[in-house]
Amino acid sequence: MSKKIVSEQDRRRKKAMIVFQVLLYSYLLGLFLFQLHLYSLSDW
Amino acid sequence: MATTTNVFGAYNAHQDESKQAQWRADKWMIGGTLLMGTGVLGIFGLPLFFYGLWLQMQAAKAGLSVRPLIVTLIGYLVIIDSSLNSLGWAMDLFANHSLINRVLTSGWGAVFDGGYFWHYNELKMGPYTIGGAGAPGEKAWEISLILACFCPRLAAAIGLLQMKRWGQQWLIVTCWMGLIVWIGYNLNMTFYADVRYANITFPVWGWWIYDIFYITPFLALPYLHTVNREIFTD
Repeated sequence: MSKKIVSEQDRRRKKAMIVFQVLLYSYLLGLFLFQLHLYSLSDW
Repeated sequence: MATTTNVFGAYNAHQDESKQAQWRADKWMIGGTLLMGTGVLGIFGLPLFFYGLWLQMQAAKAGLSVRPLIVTLIGYLVIIDSSLNSLGWAMDLFANHSLINRVLTSGWGAVFDGGYFWHYNELKMGPYTIGGAGAPGEKAWEISLILACFCPRLAAAIGLLQMKRWGQQWLIVTCWMGLIVWIGYNLNMTFYADVRYANITFPVWGWWIYDIFYITPFLALPYLHTVNREIFTD
């Protein structure tokens, strides 16, 4: 019984970590693309 | 009784042998990491580190109880990450007129980050000469992150490599700090993009290719949160 609870908790924890990773890398990619956009507008 | 003694004798011998093998591998990896942590001597440290890693893998193959490979990789990577940041930024703060800093830091700035190139060593705070990078906000990030993030992180990584529970817990804490670092630092760079990216060799993409290797915290978090914490001792 307790094993089941732990594995359920583990499963949710893993899922949360995946969601976190996807959000974070999307944010970083977004910022990078935005900086490239700024680059395209300026004369750097 | 004799059998029990033999069993424990064999166990103790195995433990001793494992400890010795781990330390032998660690000596090479510590040496390599110290060199890589300096930045300048990094290229000489890499083969030493790989040799130590190979030694550890051989010991594991031979059936000895050595540290899990993933813990070794995360631990040493974090040490290198923290050392590079602490050392580089400490030089920018306190040794910004040294020859090595004027060549390497501002040279790096000319290629990747104008904040470390344009008006380098001209920063003043009221009547006080500060020097180093003059990009807006940079000095505040340097001081706060060395003190509150990278030094605790270095200690945490050493604790992790020793398989201590506090090492795992503090690495989790400082990995989450990494979230603030990446979001805040990059936003600051973006708002002052005209300072950071103007007239340098590789604007934008150069910085990202160079710095993306510092995302170690996010790569380590899933492991640190899902690992069986019982493998770390109190």
